[in-house]
Order: sequence, then C-alpha cells, then structure tokens
Amino acid sequence: MSDGAPNRLELSGIVKRFPGVLANDRVSFAVRPGQIHALLGENGAGKSTLVKMIYGIMQPDAGEMRWDGEPVTVSNPKAARRLGIGMVFQHFSLFEALTVFENIALGMDASIPARDLESRIRDVMKTYGLTLDPHRQVTTLSVGERQRIEIVRALLLNPRLLIMDEPTSVLTPQEVEQLFVVLRQLAAEGCSILYISHKLHEIKALCDEATILRGGRVVDTCDPKAETSRSMAEKMIGAGLKVISKPAGREKGRERLVVQHLSIPAIGPFGVSLKDISFAVHAGEVFGIAGVAGNGQNALLLALSGEEVAGESDMIVLDDMPIARLKARARRLKGMASVPEERNGHAAVPDFTLADNSVLTARDRIGMVISGLIRPRMATSYTGRVIDTFAVKTTGTKSTAGSLSGGNLQKYIMGREILQNPGVLVVSQPTWGVDAGAAAAIHQAIIDLAEAGSAIVVISQDLDELLSLCDTLAVINEGRLSRPMAVKGADIEEIGLLMGGIHGDPKATETVHVHPENVHAPAP
Amino acid sequence: MRLRLEKRPSPSQFMLFATPLMAVALTMVIGGFVFTLIGFDGFGAVREIFFTPLMNPLKWQDLAVKATPLVIIAVGLSIGYRANVWNIGAEGQYVLGGLSATGIVLLTQDMSGPWILPLMAVAGIAGGMAWVAVPAWLRTRYKVNEILTTLMLTYVSVNLLNYLVFGPWKSPRAFGQPQTIAFSADQSLPYIIPGTIVQLGAPIAVIIALVAWFVMSRSLFGYQVRTVGAAPYAARHGGFSANQTIWVSLLVGGGLAGLAGMLEAAGPFGRMVPQFPTGYGFTAIIVAFLGRLNPIGILIAGIVLAITFVGGEVAQTTIAFPYPAVGIFQSMMLFFLLAGDVLVRYRVRIGNRASAGDSTSEASA
Repeated sequence: MSDGAPNRLELSGIVKRFPGVLANDRVSFAVRPGQIHALLGENGAGKSTLVKMIYGIMQPDAGEMRWDGEPVTVSNPKAARRLGIGMVFQHFSLFEALTVFENIALGMDASIPARDLESRIRDVMKTYGLTLDPHRQVTTLSVGERQRIEIVRALLLNPRLLIMDEPTSVLTPQEVEQLFVVLRQLAAEGCSILYISHKLHEIKALCDEATILRGGRVVDTCDPKAETSRSMAEKMIGAGLKVISKPAGREKGRERLVVQHLSIPAIGPFGVSLKDISFAVHAGEVFGIAGVAGNGQNALLLALSGEEVAGESDMIVLDDMPIARLKARARRLKGMASVPEERNGHAAVPDFTLADNSVLTARDRIGMVISGLIRPRMATSYTGRVIDTFAVKTTGTKSTAGSLSGGNLQKYIMGREILQNPGVLVVSQPTWGVDAGAAAAIHQAIIDLAEAGSAIVVISQDLDELLSLCDTLAVINEGRLSRPMAVKGADIEEIGLLMGGIHGDPKATETVHVHPENVHAPAP
Repeated sequence: MRLRLEKRPSPSQFMLFATPLMAVALTMVIGGFVFTLIGFDGFGAVREIFFTPLMNPLKWQDLAVKATPLVIIAVGLSIGYRANVWNIGAEGQYVLGGLSATGIVLLTQDMSGPWILPLMAVAGIAGGMAWVAVPAWLRTRYKVNEILTTLMLTYVSVNLLNYLVFGPWKSPRAFGQPQTIAFSADQSLPYIIPGTIVQLGAPIAVIIALVAWFVMSRSLFGYQVRTVGAAPYAARHGGFSANQTIWVSLLVGGGLAGLAGMLEAAGPFGRMVPQFPTGYGFTAIIVAFLGRLNPIGILIAGIVLAITFVGGEVAQTTIAFPYPAVGIFQSMMLFFLLAGDVLVRYRVRIGNRASAGDSTSEASA
C-alpha cells in the first residue's frame, strides 16, 4: 500500500500447537513500515504465542514469516534483534538491586565501552523525551520508569519493528499518554510498532490498523478509528457483550469492615510497608482499591486475610469484632474471606484436586473436618455445588486445579469463597488473565454477593474494572491509601494523579469535597 | 531425528508406580554390566543379591529383621519429605534412640518387670526427638538449612556413642572391649515367631506404616503436611503454619528414627557397641523415595532394600562379591528412580517436529 515498498513484517499461515491446544491457527497479517499495528484479542487468544514466534523465542510449526519481503527464520531472540526487531515485555526482566545503566549494559548483545554506551543511552533518552537517571537503582523506580528502561534497551538497537506486549496494563493514565507520544514519534520516523492489547480505547487512540485474534485465528483486520469500541469488542469476544446488571441507588448498610490506622512494616528487602491505612466498607458496598502494581496491594491483602498478622487488634474490625491479632483461620471463621491475586500456588494448590482445594479454605465453615479427619464426601459435594453454581468448566471435582484454564479456576476460587457466605470478601485482581465471559460472570457474582449484604473490597490495577464495579474507590500508592471517593462523578484525572503518587494536590482535595455526600470519611 | 521431552498435561499416575519398578530393573541390568566389566561375576551378583533371599525361605526372617528399622525410619522421613522438610540425619537420631534406651538399661540393671521395655521405647523416641529438635529450632528460628544441620549432628552422635561405650558406659566384665553390659531379658524384645529371629519390632513396623498411611491420607494433619510441601503460600492462605509443620514433621521423623534405634539396641544388638550405626538412617532415605513417600509403598520398598542387604551377605559368601558393593546397587536404585521421575511429568517423543505434522493436518482439516 505504501508506494510499493515491501511490508516490514508479513506472516502467512503461522501455526503453533501445544499439547491439547492449537494456539495459532493459520495466522496471517502484515505490518507496513511506520505503521502502528494493533494485535487485539482476549487472554488466551494466541497473541503472546504469536509475538514470541516473531521474536524467536518459539518456532512456528508451520507457516512463513517475511521481513522486508524476504522469507526469514528467526531462530532465537538474538537473531530477531539482528534483524531489527525489538520487544518490550509485559513482565520486565530487571535486576532490582542494580542501576538502570547496569541493567541496560547486561542486556546488550555486543559489548560496548561503558562511556560510549552511556552517551548513547543519554542520546536515546533525549531524542524521545524519556527522563531517567542512568545511575539510579531499579528498586527505587516506579513501574512506568522501569518500563522506560526496557524501551530504552530496545531503542538502543535502532529497531525497525518494536513489539509492545500489553504495555499499559501497569501504567497510570498520565504515563500512558507519555508512552503514546514516544510511540507516535517512533512511527513517524519509520519504525513499525506491533501493539498488543485488549484495551479498545487505547487502540482507537493510537493504532492505524488492528488485527483481531480469537481462539488462535484471525477474525478480522480493520481500521480501529473507523470502528466503535463495541464492534471491536464483539469481534474479539465473538458474541454480543453481556452487560453486568448493577442495581442503581443501592442502600448502604452498617459498617462491616473498618480498617483504622493500619501500619505494617515491609516484609523482605523489596516489600512495601503499609502506612496509616484507614477505610470502612458497609454492607452491600463494593469498595475498590486502585493503584499501580507494587504499591502495597499484596501487603494489604495479606494483612486483611490474616496471612500476615501485625499491629494492634482494633486496627481491623469485622462486624464490631477486633480481628487484627487473629490468624487467617480464625478470621475466616468470623466471616472474612479472601481471594489473592495469584491463583496457582496461593489461592489454590495446582497439583491438588478441586475437592482437596475446597478443604483449603472452606473446611471450617462447611464442616469438612470432624475430630481431625477430613470428610471427603462433604468436600466433594461442596465442590460440586461450586462447579454447578458458577458454571466452572471442568471434568469434575477430581480434576486438578492446575488443569483448569485461568478463567475457570478463578470462577472456582470465587465460588469457593462466595458459597461460604462471607461477611466480608477481599479480592485481588479478580479478572487478571481471565477471558471476558468469565470476567463478566465473576463481576456479576461480586455484585450479587454485595446485594446479599456482604461488604466487598476489590483490589485491582484495572481502573476500568473498578469504575464499572465499585461504589467507592480509593487509590493506594507507596503503601498509603488515599481518601475514599464515590465512583459516581469521580474524576479520572485525579485518580490518575493519585496513582502516580501526587499527594496533597489542592485539586485533589477539592474534587473530594465536590461530592461530600458520597465520601466516607475514614473511621476515627 | 532426536529424542524430545514433552510436558504432560497432568502427571502420569502410571509412571508414578512404574518408575520404581523400572529403577530396580535398570539397577540389575546396569549393575550387572558394570561389575562384569570390572572383572566380577556381575550377573551372578545380581542373582545372589536380588533373587536368592527371596527364593530361600530360610532367608525370609532375615528380611523381616533388616526391613524393620528401614520401614520405621523411612515412614518418619517421608512425612517430612512430603512437607519439603529434608531431614537426612535420621542415622544420628537412630543412634540417640539407641543410646537413650541403653541409658534406661543401665539405670534399671538390677530391676525387672514388663514396664522396662516400654520405658526404653519412650526414652528412644524422646532421644530421637531431642536430637532433631536442634535442627528444627535452628530452621524455624534462624532459617538454617536442616539438610546441613541434621547431617552434621549425625557425626556428633557417633562421637557421643564412642565416648560412652569406650568411657563411662564400658562394661566392667568386657575385658577392655568397648561395649556396654548385655541387656537382660526384660530389657530385650521378645521373639514373636518361635524358632526364628523375628522380634516384636517387625509387627510394630507394619502397624506404624498402616497408621501413618491413614493419618497422611485421611487426617487434616496429613493434608496440612501435603499442602505445605506442594504450595507453601497456599498453605499460609489456608491458615496452616509452616513453622508448626516443620516442627511436627521433624519431631515425628526423629521420634520414629529414635524408636528404630531402641528396637535395634533391644533387639538384634542386645548391647550398645561402636558398630551400632549401620547406615539404616541413610538407606531409609532410599526406601522413602522408592516407596514414593507413601507408607504402604515404603513397606514394600523396605523389603526390597532388605533383600539387597541380605543378598549382599549371600553374595559375599557364595561368590566372594565385596559387601560394600551392595551400597553401589542401593545408590543406583535411588539414582535411576530420581532420573526416571522426569517421565512422570514429561513424555518422550522421538523426532524433531513430531507435533508439527499433526497440527498442520488438523489445521487444514
């Protein structure tokens, strides 16, 4: 299309099979020079597998890849970098204890004298407006800054195709804007960009063309600016979107969970300490905690669930009972349920059957243990009930948790906690890595539980999720929680600033006071 | 064309049971070849070591005697291993169990009564537990690796044994031999099958294995141990304390090793001597793994290892096969078993792109 110049990258008929799954099924598409091309699809649609083959981490089982019109085989990432393919991964590979410069130097294929490398790093940063001190230790950097290291690392190789895998999932709205500026500048200079995401508004704002994957196949290639978010979402999911029903104007009940002045020192060298956290959640309320990853969400979940016990007993109050000195099991007996972010190995034991996994957290409230002996029948019947109620796709209560897909395992875990009828449910990243169908079911389950009078805390990095799910929202940053604000009428700009660590901004306090009737002051 | 490992969707139950058998078979074949190559009658040795003890009913009582301490110690170790707690110093706990029982013997020299033997058993268990309490405390308090501490305490225990039998506990009637006085009838295990050398220890080993099987498969404690071993964070999420699990599993392992030491001292040995540590505590590690950390499997594996001990003695007398070489056969078993474990989680595929053909044909179907 562009004056007969060959496509920068062209894939035709790429097939990749894993035991039991066809991850990519005859995938074909092309990226032109200087184009920002979106690769859009749900979790599990095959996006990551596809880019891993482009970057040489995996080899396709069949199909052809052309680079500037020439057929190529990319046998490893080094070969990909030699061709001019750079990649920024969703999960960074950085040594926390080293500096920015040391991390970049370690990642170079050729050895370059330190002084030359540093001046090249400074050049790249200047050209693209990426501010970063090369001599800072990575531990001290925010997630957005860490991503910049990875971008600089990729740009040092003068790439002609840059692959960005879900780059915005950990960024604040402001950081996303800065990233887009860099990407647009790169594209204007002729570098092609393959932008992987499932966030439709970003793709509409940034990309020239979008290839939509579903179940490993290309379902459409379209111009995102000419499409609506809804039409693209429907192509991505393959069915009409299910809208979660959230009854308007819910009455809030009594306070069920009150956290007051909770402070916990950091655990481990890279842990985050919690500083003076206060909030209250009422019966029927869904309370959201937004924030960029690594700002204390994990520590907060462990503190609430009782997996880490610290502080004084009245720092956490559940239904008027001080519980901060109680351990996980005792808290669960009093009605506190939790779902940690990591499903495999934290919320569930992957090698155990689902029935055995039910014993893990439901044994006391469901009566699965009598005088020290497990009653397998109780565990099996309860697990069966969870599977039926939450439409968990599995071969039965005897399948191992590890054999379930992410979405189905999450539905099982949520179901396991919800059917215990908890007074308070704390959930971290309820829909992380979950397909849209399962995500909608999980969201509906959360809303239904709140309807039934439970108090719910949702910790998530996905701001869109929180805005659609929650009644009240607070932002966690470096272990501090902002003042809660009502979701209705919340100011996205302000939430973004809070996520980025701007505290005490006069505008922020003003916004809170705009809706005084919706604000729950932290309990004294 | 080449061999390729492919991850199985779930661990193979068949391989879980087949690999111990494969390990034993491979040990016989490879061991036979190796010893033939270095100039021995390798396959004769395999026959004498692995088959003669089974074919000759006279040897069966020897099997029961040898298997008893192996099974008791291995059952205790397997509980810790399930929780990822690696006590490899059962030999030391076994020695302490024997020493504690001997201490009771010396205190009750001029007494008699059926209460002495149970008291010796309690002392043996307590001695093993006390010896393992040091690594347990260091591990839970200071995160000191229990593999090192349990092993090192084994050497301490052997020196303690030597000090006692060469020194204060030496029998005045032993003509300078380093040994204690002989245990009296009330201080020794009764024979349970008349005319054989099978003592009370053998049925105790069977009962311990059955009880351990029931506890590990049906009780919440067994569930706790398995959860802590399989997924420590999930165990914490479920409200199980890792430190408590470490303590209990180490104490059970040390206590059972101590009991085995008492049963050996009050049984086959009949007095305390410097030759008391015979390596049962180390061989029990092989038994635990060969039995798949399952108490019933351990019962069978204990007999297999007992066969190699008894067979080693047979081979020594019949074909002059060096007895220490039995240790090589035993180690090969563990080696092949651990190496074979890869087959539980992976399957072997032949050819470079065996799956590429399938997928394209399916894709175009």
